[in-house]
Amino acid sequence: MNRIEVESEVTGTVWKVETAVGDRVEEGDVLLILESMKMEIPVESPAAGTVAELLVQAEDPVQEDQVVAVLEA
Amino acid sequence: MGWEQEVQELERRRHLARQQGGAEGIARQHARGRLTIRERIDALLDADTFQEHGKATATPDYDGDDRVVGFVPANYVVGFGKIAGRRVVVGGEDFTLKGGSPNAAGLRKSVYAEHLALQYKAPLVRMLEGGGGSVKGGAKRGTVGEPVYATPRFRVIADAMGQVPIASIAAGAVAGFPAGRLVASHFAVMTRHTAQILIGGPALVERALGVKLSKEALGGAHVHAGSGIVDNVAEDEEDAFAQTRRFLGYLPSHIGERAPRAASDDDPERMEPALLGAVPREPNAAFDMREIVRMVVDLDSFFEIGAGFGPSQIAGLARLDGQPVGVLANDCTVYAGAMTAQAAQKYRRFVEMCDTFHIPIVNFVDQPGFMIGPEAERAGTIRYGMAAVCAAAQASVPWASIQVHKGFGVATAAHYAPNAYVLAWPSVETGALPLEGGVAVAYRRQLEAAANPAEQRQALEDRLRAARSPFPRAESFAVHELIDPRETRPTLCRWIDWIQPLLEELKGPTTFPMRP
Repeated sequence: MNRIEVESEVTGTVWKVETAVGDRVEEGDVLLILESMKMEIPVESPAAGTVAELLVQAEDPVQEDQVVAVLEA
Repeated sequence: MGWEQEVQELERRRHLARQQGGAEGIARQHARGRLTIRERIDALLDADTFQEHGKATATPDYDGDDRVVGFVPANYVVGFGKIAGRRVVVGGEDFTLKGGSPNAAGLRKSVYAEHLALQYKAPLVRMLEGGGGSVKGGAKRGTVGEPVYATPRFRVIADAMGQVPIASIAAGAVAGFPAGRLVASHFAVMTRHTAQILIGGPALVERALGVKLSKEALGGAHVHAGSGIVDNVAEDEEDAFAQTRRFLGYLPSHIGERAPRAASDDDPERMEPALLGAVPREPNAAFDMREIVRMVVDLDSFFEIGAGFGPSQIAGLARLDGQPVGVLANDCTVYAGAMTAQAAQKYRRFVEMCDTFHIPIVNFVDQPGFMIGPEAERAGTIRYGMAAVCAAAQASVPWASIQVHKGFGVATAAHYAPNAYVLAWPSVETGALPLEGGVAVAYRRQLEAAANPAEQRQALEDRLRAARSPFPRAESFAVHELIDPRETRPTLCRWIDWIQPLLEELKGPTTFPMRP
């Protein structure tokens, strides 16, 4: 099992979490949606796998490069 | 009897010079997963096109009878060659000898590389691997230092950047002066696993700062993809050579020539149906700008440069009806495409490069403004941003701007050059400030006095948004054409035809060339 940390590319706030721990995801699936500079920014899964951890919830502030989710692939 | 003996000796010396660091040095280089400089040159160039300069350069050891007994080849190899049939100068350090740190003849040849490219007006490809000078070199007797009348030794490096395309490849540890050479380029690429780029290596850093870091931690690809000192990261040396060949294919051989227009088999009238829905109607929904660029330019012609640095701004080279063009575009998935300090630096350098080589610019505009917030203020964003605005305002190249989505604030000025050909999509929204936020500031008193401020703000936003419809701008000739997004390619390809006489006129030096 390979743990993959998914980082936010931007500073902003979490708008919606689109997945739950244990969900199977494919590469490119939207894990959560951030809001930054008034744009909705999807955070996509970098690989196929299972969502192991979701480290943020709606309305949480996030920083650039902050780990927001962990996948097992 | 003629000169047989000397010729025989010459042949022997040429043979010895080709031995590089010997079987052992070569094996060591290969064990590190790296090619030798001669293998690199052969892999970069068209087959059998290398014409070496200084085939018998070396530091010889003589015996008592003035016979050469030992022979240390110059550790820099340089000469002419061809890429896709076009002449280039290529040079690089031989790391199988003395860790790439220059020996006497090697140093002369490395300085010569820029002179050669300038004199014969050919692009320069540097293959860098090695450290800079060594303190050992400073212990000689006799005169010291350069004579006071010497030309600054970096002058030729600066001059070359305004005359010929320069591409640099880091394919091993590159430290000190070679790292300076690397960034004095129009395109720099490093290999992901085998290259590190450092001003000072681990020993210097530990001595000066007391921190212990490996070469990789200090200057590996993970650092420099984001630092912007290299444009691209290559998977391996072969990929670095392929990217270098590709980059040079869009550029002229020197500023006195035009960028080579290739025959295109992509129909200039092609209209991609997907462009119509490429920008969502919801103003806050993100979309894929790279996909828009790819649908408009010649198929498979988009070559992105510097994707990891200032990622809200996309820059790259492409072709339109075979004509090389510089592409600038905003990526709204990163800070809505805002101009950060890094994005602005990338933008300015790219405009200056296109200006230097007379490559027309096509600009896909979705600019929400300069980046704001505490980080942006600390980063000095406004200064770098204005430098980008000034680069565009003084650009001499033909320039087309496509208003795709947003165009707000001073940063938007960076997307227009004098005499720009301006196209607008129906999805465009422009103004001094975005309505959200902008309304709250401009109508503060009115909103405070309102019975229901939120409702009042919404009403104001709706009214102002309606006034920002693209139709009045088209009626007023504030844009050349309001177009169906699917018409973008045919419209730009016609523009490419119109600008051909201008490109002919621009050949020669610009008032402000690109600097590192």
